[in-house]
Amino acid sequence: MGKLSGKKLLLLGERDGVAGPAMEECLKDSGAEIVFSVTECFV
Amino acid sequence: MDLQNQQRVKDAAEKYGAENVVVILGSSDAEGAEIYAETVANGDPTFAGPLAGAPLGLAVYHVFEQDIRDEIDPAVWEEQLGMMEMVLDGDALAQATKGIREEFSKWQI
Repeated sequence: MGKLSGKKLLLLGERDGVAGPAMEECLKDSGAEIVFSVTECFV
Repeated sequence: MDLQNQQRVKDAAEKYGAENVVVILGSSDAEGAEIYAETVANGDPTFAGPLAGAPLGLAVYHVFEQDIRDEIDPAVWEEQLGMMEMVLDGDALAQATKGIREEFSKWQI
C-alpha cells in the first residue's frame, strides 16, 4: 500500500456500476484525500 | 460526463495541480469507462462541457484495476465491491481504462 499516499482523489462512480460511497469506503484509509465523490446515472 | 462534474474535475486539477490528482472510475461498461477516462485525460470528446479542448492528462484508473485493488484492505474490498465484481466484467473495465491512460495520461500512480 502507499501508491496513493498524498494524492487527491476524484471518485466518479456510476449507479449501475460501483457507486461513489462504496469507493469512498474502500479508499478512505489509502493515505489519499478524497476531494469529491459522485455517482452518475444515465437514465 | 455530467457537465457539472467536468467543472469539478477541472477545478480540482487547477487547485491541487494535475500531477497530484488521481481519478478513479466506477463505470459499469467498458465503453463508458473509455469515455470518462478520455474526458479527464484528453478533454471532453463530445466538446460539450468545460473539459472540451482541455487535455488535463490526469492519472485515471478503474476501481477494478490491480493498482487500485492493491491499495484497498481485502476485507473492505469484499464487503463493498465483492458483489459488483461478480456482476461486472472487471478485466474489460480495467483494460479499457488502462488503454486510454497509456494513450493520454501524463501521470500514473
